[in-house]
This record gives sequence, C-alpha cells and structure tokens, in this order.
Amino acid sequence: MTNSNMTCEAFDAALPDYLEGTLDVSMRASVEMHLRECVRCAGLVRDLENIREEAAAMPDLVPSKDLWTGIEARIAAPVIPLTARPERQKRFAPAWMGIAAAALVVSTAGITYTLTSRSLTKPDSRPVAAAPTGETQPPLDTGSATQPSNAIAAASTGGSGTLPETRRPSGQRGGIPASLASQPQNEPSHSDAVYGKEIEMLQRVVSERKTQLDSSTVAIIEKNLQIIDAAIAQSRAALAKDPASMLLSDQLTHALDKKVELLRTAALLPSST
Amino acid sequence: MQAASNAVRVPMGDSTDVALAAGGDRQAFERLYRTHANRVYSLCTRMSGSRSKGEELTQDVFVRTWEKLPQFRGESAFSTWLHRLAVNVVLNARKTEGTQASRTDESDVGDERWDVAGHAPMHIERMDLTDAIAKLPAGARRVFVLHDVEGFKHEEIAELCGITSGGSKAQLHRARLLLREALER
Repeated sequence: MTNSNMTCEAFDAALPDYLEGTLDVSMRASVEMHLRECVRCAGLVRDLENIREEAAAMPDLVPSKDLWTGIEARIAAPVIPLTARPERQKRFAPAWMGIAAAALVVSTAGITYTLTSRSLTKPDSRPVAAAPTGETQPPLDTGSATQPSNAIAAASTGGSGTLPETRRPSGQRGGIPASLASQPQNEPSHSDAVYGKEIEMLQRVVSERKTQLDSSTVAIIEKNLQIIDAAIAQSRAALAKDPASMLLSDQLTHALDKKVELLRTAALLPSST
Repeated sequence: MQAASNAVRVPMGDSTDVALAAGGDRQAFERLYRTHANRVYSLCTRMSGSRSKGEELTQDVFVRTWEKLPQFRGESAFSTWLHRLAVNVVLNARKTEGTQASRTDESDVGDERWDVAGHAPMHIERMDLTDAIAKLPAGARRVFVLHDVEGFKHEEIAELCGITSGGSKAQLHRARLLLREALER
C-alpha cells in the first residue's frame, strides 16, 4: 500500500529507526502519516511493539533441578596448599618440559645409582622427600636400608589427612615440605595425605564432569594423565632404589604437582556447549 | 525501554553476603546463588536457546563468580556485575563451540533457518515467546535477549558480542520480525 508520502518499502526501511526512536522529525512525521493510512504497516508496528513489551516483561525461568550441588562440588574442589616454588622451577613453564625432564632424570639417576651405589659408604638416613635445605646437591647415599616414603607411595591413591582448602582462598605453595626431613620414613606424612586426598577428590570431580566436557578434551586430559602417572611411577621406582635422592624427590613432587594442576584445570573447565 | 538494568532488580542485603562470600564463606555464596539463580539461568537459557545448556552455563557462571568475587569492587550493583559476567561466560562458551558456532553466529545474517542447531528448516507451531526465542538464529537470538529482554543498549551489545552497533540493530529487527512470524503461526 502507498500514500502520497511513503511506500511500504520505504516504511520497512525506516522501521528499525522508528522503533528505536532515532528518526529525524520530518521522517518520523512521514512514517506516522503512513501508519495512519496503511493497515498492513500499522499492524506490523503494533505486533513488533507487543513483542518488545512482552519480552521486557518475561518472567524468570526456573531450572529443572537445584544446580547448587554441582556448583558447590566445583568450588569445593580442594587445593593443595602450595608454597612458592623454587625459582628454578618456574623455568619449566610448559608442563611437558617438566614431565619430560622428570622422566629423563629418573632414568639417568636410576642408572647412576645402580652403577655407583655399591662403591659408596653407608649414608645417614635422609628422608625420602626432603625439601631442599640449601644444598645444591645432596650427597648420594646407597639407601639400601631405606624405603620410599609412604607419602609418595600414597600420593596418587589418596590417604588420610585433613582436607585441603577450597581452591579460591589460596594457601601456601610448595611441594613436600621441609618438615618431612625430620619425619621417620615409615610414617605417612601430612603432605602425602594432602596430595593423595587432593588427587582423589579432584579425580572424583573430573570423573563426574566428564559428560559435560567435550569428548576430545576428555581424551586429551586422560592421555596427559597417563603420561604424568608414568612419570610418577618412574620417580617412585627410582626413589625406591635411592630414597635419599633429593633430586628424585623433587622430580616426584613436580610430577605430582603437575597431576594436581591438570586435574584442577579439568575440574574447572567450562562445560562444552 | 527498560534499562540494562533489568539487571538491577537488586535484592537488598546482597552486600553482606557478597563480602562474606568474597572471603570464602560458601554459605553466604549459596545465599547469593539462591537469590540470583533464576535470573542467571533465564539469561543463560534464553541466550543459548536450550534449557539443559542453560543449566550447564548457569553452573559455569557461578563457579566463575566464586573465582572472581574477590575482585568485585562494588563499583556497580552486585547483580549488574553478576549479569555482565554471565553474559561473558555465555559468549565465551559460544566461542569454544568452534565450527558449529561459526555456522550459527553472525554469519547467519540473512539465513532464515529457524533451527539453530543446524538441522533442516522447520515449521514452528503455535508457541510461547520463550520457545520462539529459542528457535531464533543464534546471532539474532543473542541480540534480542540482550536488548529486549535484558535491557542492554546496542553499544553495550556491540562491545560484548564483538559486532557493530549497526549490526546489533539489524539483528534485533530481524529477530523481532522472525518472532512475529513464528508467533502468528
């Protein structure tokens, strides 16, 4: 339909700005004149204004279930209290460099130990996962009478201990603490329990979230966990032979940190959409 | 037009719980969740076009809120801050959709498919506005929800969605026309 001032096509072109209220005065007058004479265009404007009004007044929707449980599980994902890492470890920014380094060190250290242990004198019983004490290189001891820390053994399978903090309020950072150095080796350490507990809980969260994540993402996470687990297993095996090695202990701690980090990242991934 | 600020249906008493939750109080955070869950869920559902996706996104929004809460400075109402965060979570989730997103995103301008999931065109029976919105193409749906339902301005939508203000206006008009057509059936 047309009138002397405006065609319906011209009206259609001007309609968005008309509804936005951004037409200049003369154009607005033309549109309004057209609306008075054109049933089709008047009906269109009325319908669109109704839609706008209804949209603005739409009531809130209600979820089909209480979502808090899932949210709480995710925000409660525990964080192992980690203290500041030694500066040198910051160089290993990419996770895989750290993992690869750990595997390499474990292999070479095992060989070195095998070749040298028989010729060394019996050492003091340095605890397995002792934290750096300022020495640049720990004395190599035979460790023939010592056993790997229960803590390390339990680290990836869980254990007793207090619950770590929830993840947001961050605590200290740090791997196996120096206090472990004075701990009898056959007693589970607190840090081991914390590692174990953290990993166990994170694995549970990640397991529950698998269906919400993209399958390719899940596959990558699982593959990476296998690599890290292999590094952990190698470190533990090497430590079984050389329980006093701080280097191996450090590498094990590093691998465990990586596992926690990966699990935590997976637990916090947004759902695939 | 309603203000962006539909987001500002502010329940009184948020500030105490916000402060407590920012300090790690999960019970306070749960109260905030209870207060705002439906609004966030409505936004997520309408923007995503799916109730199940809306529930997933709502959880993501509140997890993200928990993480970011210590950074909330109170420069705006908590509900406004939360709402904007929710929009960002939804839009960021869309970006991770990859190729599927590219099929249904701004590139769908002029594409009159109704099924945003990318299936064959479908006829829409008589339905309410919520369902009709869900059937809109993704780009038009997001702009319509943000503008007409949530009260954002075109300039804000342009910034949030990475489009131009003119593009936002075009998508809005297109969405309204499509809704009219759907609701008339």
